[in-house]
Amino acid sequence: MNKVIGTAVSRTDGLAKVTGKATYTGEQQIPGLVYGYLVTSAIAKGRIRSISTEAAQKAPGVIAVITHKNAPKVFKPTNNFITSKIYEARLPLSDEQVHYGGQIIGLVVADTFERARDAAQLLQVEYDIETPLVNSAKATYKAANSMFGEEMAFRKGEFSSGTGVTEPATIEATYTTSTELHVPMEPHAIIAHWQEDALTIYEPSQWVAGIQRTYAELFGIPSEKVRIVTPYIGGAFGSKVYPWPHSILCAAVARQIQRPLKVVVSRRQMTANTGHRSETEQTVKLTATKDGKLDAIVHTAKSVTSPVDMFPEPCTNITPVMYAAPNMQVNQTVATLNVGTPTFMRAPGETPGMWAMESAMDELAWKLNLDPVELRLKNETTTHLRKNLPFSSKHFADCLKEGAKRFGWQNRPRQPRTLTRDGKLIGWGMAAATYPALRGNATVKVRLLPDGRVNVLTSANDMGTGTYTLIAIMTAETLGVSVDKVSVEIGDSLFPDGGLAGGSQMTASLAPAVQQACQNLLKSGKFTNTKEAIKELQSSGRAAVEATGSSAPSEEGKNWAFQSWGAHFCEVSIDEEIGRLRVTRWVSVMDIGQVMNAKAAASQIRGGVIMGIGEALMEECVFDPNTGQPVVYDLATYHYPSHADIPRIDVTFVGKPDLTFNPLGARGGGEIGITGVAAAVANAVYHATGKRFRNLPIAPDKLMA
Amino acid sequence: MKNFAYVRATSTEDAVQQSQTTQNAQFIAGGTNLVDRLKVFLDRPDRLIDVSRLDLKQIEATKEGGIRIGALATNTAVADHPQIRRDYPLLSRAILSGASQQIRNMATVGGNLLQRTRCPYYYDPVFACNKRQPGSGCPAIPGINRMHAILGASDSCIAVHPSDMCVALAALDAVVEVESTKGRRQIPFNDFHRLPGDAPERDTNLEPGDLITAVILPPVSFAKTGIYLKLRDRASYSFALISVAAAIDLSGESIRDARLALGGVAHKPWRSIEAETFLKGKPATVETFQQAAEIALQGAKPLDHNGFKVNMAKRAIKRALTISAQGGGVA
Repeated sequence: MNKVIGTAVSRTDGLAKVTGKATYTGEQQIPGLVYGYLVTSAIAKGRIRSISTEAAQKAPGVIAVITHKNAPKVFKPTNNFITSKIYEARLPLSDEQVHYGGQIIGLVVADTFERARDAAQLLQVEYDIETPLVNSAKATYKAANSMFGEEMAFRKGEFSSGTGVTEPATIEATYTTSTELHVPMEPHAIIAHWQEDALTIYEPSQWVAGIQRTYAELFGIPSEKVRIVTPYIGGAFGSKVYPWPHSILCAAVARQIQRPLKVVVSRRQMTANTGHRSETEQTVKLTATKDGKLDAIVHTAKSVTSPVDMFPEPCTNITPVMYAAPNMQVNQTVATLNVGTPTFMRAPGETPGMWAMESAMDELAWKLNLDPVELRLKNETTTHLRKNLPFSSKHFADCLKEGAKRFGWQNRPRQPRTLTRDGKLIGWGMAAATYPALRGNATVKVRLLPDGRVNVLTSANDMGTGTYTLIAIMTAETLGVSVDKVSVEIGDSLFPDGGLAGGSQMTASLAPAVQQACQNLLKSGKFTNTKEAIKELQSSGRAAVEATGSSAPSEEGKNWAFQSWGAHFCEVSIDEEIGRLRVTRWVSVMDIGQVMNAKAAASQIRGGVIMGIGEALMEECVFDPNTGQPVVYDLATYHYPSHADIPRIDVTFVGKPDLTFNPLGARGGGEIGITGVAAAVANAVYHATGKRFRNLPIAPDKLMA
Repeated sequence: MKNFAYVRATSTEDAVQQSQTTQNAQFIAGGTNLVDRLKVFLDRPDRLIDVSRLDLKQIEATKEGGIRIGALATNTAVADHPQIRRDYPLLSRAILSGASQQIRNMATVGGNLLQRTRCPYYYDPVFACNKRQPGSGCPAIPGINRMHAILGASDSCIAVHPSDMCVALAALDAVVEVESTKGRRQIPFNDFHRLPGDAPERDTNLEPGDLITAVILPPVSFAKTGIYLKLRDRASYSFALISVAAAIDLSGESIRDARLALGGVAHKPWRSIEAETFLKGKPATVETFQQAAEIALQGAKPLDHNGFKVNMAKRAIKRALTISAQGGGVA
C-alpha cells in the first residue's frame, strides 16, 4: 500500500456538500418542530422599563413570548475552559439591563418561522436610555489577564539601566486594527429537542464533548442525558465553540414548551450575539544595534470587551516567541465598551500581534537599510523566551529562504516607489507567520467489517476544514486500505470524545488517536495486517472487529515549546491617484511539521491568507456614535474579499515532522496562515508608495489621501 | 401576520389596472431588491403584481439609430447584447460592475431604476430614517456617513442612489417610457430620479400605478469611447464609493462633445451638464479635464466621514475623461 499521509486527497465529504446531502443544523427535520425568533435591543445601554407582549401573544400561530419577566431559569455553569464554558457569562434574559446594541431581550416562538418573525415585530418595548460608550478613545483601560486568568504582563532584562548599545537604532510606532465580525457561511443555529428529561441539541459546535457538559450543567442533568449532534459546520473560526445566549435560551424555552425548537440567528443579529474580534491598538518599540541585532522589544496592546464578559485579545502572546532580544517588556490592557462580547477569531492574539510586530520589523529594516528577510534571520530565537524552553522543531529560516527564492525576492529594489507596471506602483512585502502547536485528548472507535470497509466514529467535528478526510487518510494509512473504504461518522456525543477543534489542534489531537485505534484493532485479534483480519472475519462469520484508541498531550511539553512557523511574500499593485490596490502575487511557506493532507493543508493556509487580506484591506465594523448600534451588519456592508480580490496563492510546506510533539510529527495548520498577512500587505504598500499604513483596513480613501 | 395578495399580470394594461385596486400595490419583477426589503418589513404591500411574464423583454434597434430596451430585459441580457456592447460599451461595463452574475440574471432594467438606497440607517429599524418614516430624522447626518452623498443632499436625507447602470443611462441621455391609466409617456432620465429635498421617501417622479415599460437610448455617436470607472472597497460585489460614466467626442485635438455622470455622490445619478458644457470646444488635455472635475464638484458638501469623496470624484473624472479621449476601454 502506498503512503497516504501527506498526499493530496480531495475532501471525502465534498460530494455530499455540493449536492446538498450534507445536513447542517438549520436543515435538520424534526417532527413537531417550532420556530423561535430573537427579539433584540434597539438601544445600546440602559434598561427595559416596560415590555408589552400582548399583541404578539395573540398573533396567529404564536406559542410563547419569552422576555426577562418570564424567562425560564437555568443554572450557572462552571464556566471554565476545562469542563464547561459559555461565551457570555451573563445568562440570557437574566434581568432588564441592556449592555449593548442588539442584545437579546426576548424570544417569540410560533408554528412557522415567518409567524414568529412577524409576531416579534409586535413587541412594544420602552427603555430608560443611557448614553452608550462605543468609542474606545474615550474608554478607560485596565491591566488585563488572559482568558485563562493568567497574568499577561511580562518583563525580562535590564531596561532601567539602559541597554548599553552604542548608537542604537530605534523605531516606535502604534498600530491599530478594526472590529472584525464573524461571518461564517453558515449563520449560527440550534435545535433543542427534549424527550422526557433527555436533551438533544443540534448545533454547530467546535467542541461536542465540552458543550455536552455545559448543557448538562445549565439544566442540572447528567451529561449522559445530553446528546450533541453536529455532523457538519459551515465555518466557525472560533465563534462556534460554546453556547451563545441564543443557544441557552433556545434549550431552556424548548424545555418549557415541551416542543422541539429551532432558533437561527440572522446575519444582522450575529453582529452582536455571536462574537467578533475586538479592535486593537498596539505600540511596538524596537531597539537594535547598527547591524540589526535586536536589543529590546517593548510591546503594549489594548483591546476592548463587553460589559458582561472579559475577553482580552491576547496580542502579546507572540512577543516572547518571535525574536531574541535580551530586554523585553509586554503589557496588555482592556477596556469595556457597550458592544457585544468579543471572542476567539482565527489566531486570536497572533493575528493582530503579528500585524504590529511584523510591521515594526519592516520599519526597522528600512531604518537600518537591511533586507527584512535578513533582519529576521539575524534575530531568530531557538527558545520560547517566556517559557524558557527550546522549540521542539523550528524551520523558520527555511520558510524565509524558500519563500524568498520562490518569490524572486533577490530582485527587490531597496528603494520605495521604484517598481512600476502599466502605470501602477508595484510593491513587494514580506512578513513572518507563527502559531503555537497545541494538542488535546482525543478518542476514536474503529470498526472493520468483513467486506473490508472500515467505520470510524468520534465526536470530533469538521468545521469545513477536512476532519472527515484526515480521519480517512489516517485510517487508510494505518490499516493499509484505500481511502474510499473508510466511512467516517463524527460530530455526535454518542461517539467517543474526539476533543476540541480550536487552537489549530484537531489534527494534532485526532490523528494519533486514529492511529492508536487502528493499531489496537489489529492487536486485539493478533492480526499482522488488515487482510488477515478480514480473512478471519469472513471465515469466522463475525460481524466486525472494533477497537478504540486515544491520545493525549505528552510529558514533552515540560521540556519543549511547540510552535509553527512561516513566511509570507506578496506583491501589490497600486493605482495611487484613485486609491485602487490589488494584491497580485502571494507566496507562503509554512513549517507545520508533517503535512497530513497536502490539499487540505494548502487550502487552510490559503483561507488564512484570504482572511488576512480581508483584515488588511477591507474588514471593519463601525458603530453609530450616538446610538451605539452597528452600521455595518450584513454581507453588503461588511466587506471581505471577493474572488476578484485574490491572486493565485502559492503555498508550500517545509514538511519536517515534529516527532517530539506527537507520534506523527503533525502540527495544526488552521490558524497560522492568517498571521503576518496584514503586515506583509502593508509592508508591500510601503515598498510601492513610501507611505507607512499603521491603521487597518487600508481602504481606498486612506490609500489615496 | 401581514398577508398580501399575489397576482400575475396578463398584460401591461392589466398590470396598470391591477395596481389601481388597492392603495398599497407594488410591481415585482426580478425581486432582487424588493424581496430583501419585504424580509425586513421595509415594504408592506397589500398586493404584489408580478409583471415578470409580460412581453417587455425585447432589446431592439430604433429607427433613429438608438436602442430600445424593454423594462423586463435582465441586466445580464442588456450587458451581453451585441449592439449595446458595440455602441454603448459604458452601459455594458456599468452593469457588469454591479451586483453578481446571479443577481444580474434575475434583475431587470425597470427594477434597476427603482432600487432603493443601501444606506444602513434606512435598512435597520433600530434607527430613525426620514426615507422609511418621514419626519423621524436622519441619524446618518450626525452619525457614520462615509458612504453618503456629497452633492444635492438635504437636511432630511443624505442617502445615495446605489445603481451603476443608472449612472451610464444618465450619461447617455436615456428616456424612460412609462405606462399608466392615462396612457404612455416618456420621462427624460435626468427628471426620473429625485433629489431628497424634504420628501426623501420619494426616490422618483413616478406616480402610483406607473409601470416602466422601456428605456430608450438615443444614438450617441461617440458613446463608443465611453467608459465606466467604479471605485469601491473591494474588487467586486460592493457599491461604489465613487463611479464615473464619461464619454468624449474629439475633433482633432479639441473636444466637440462630452458626457459626464457620477455615481455614489447623490440621491440620484448625478449628471454634470456644467462640466459637459465647459468641456465643449476645449483642448483635450489633462488640465482641461482637471478643470471639468473641479466644475463637476462645485457645491460639494462633504460630511464628517466622506470628505475623501470630493477628491476621489475629481481624480476619477480626470482619469475617465483621459481614457475616453484616448479612445475608451476599460478603466
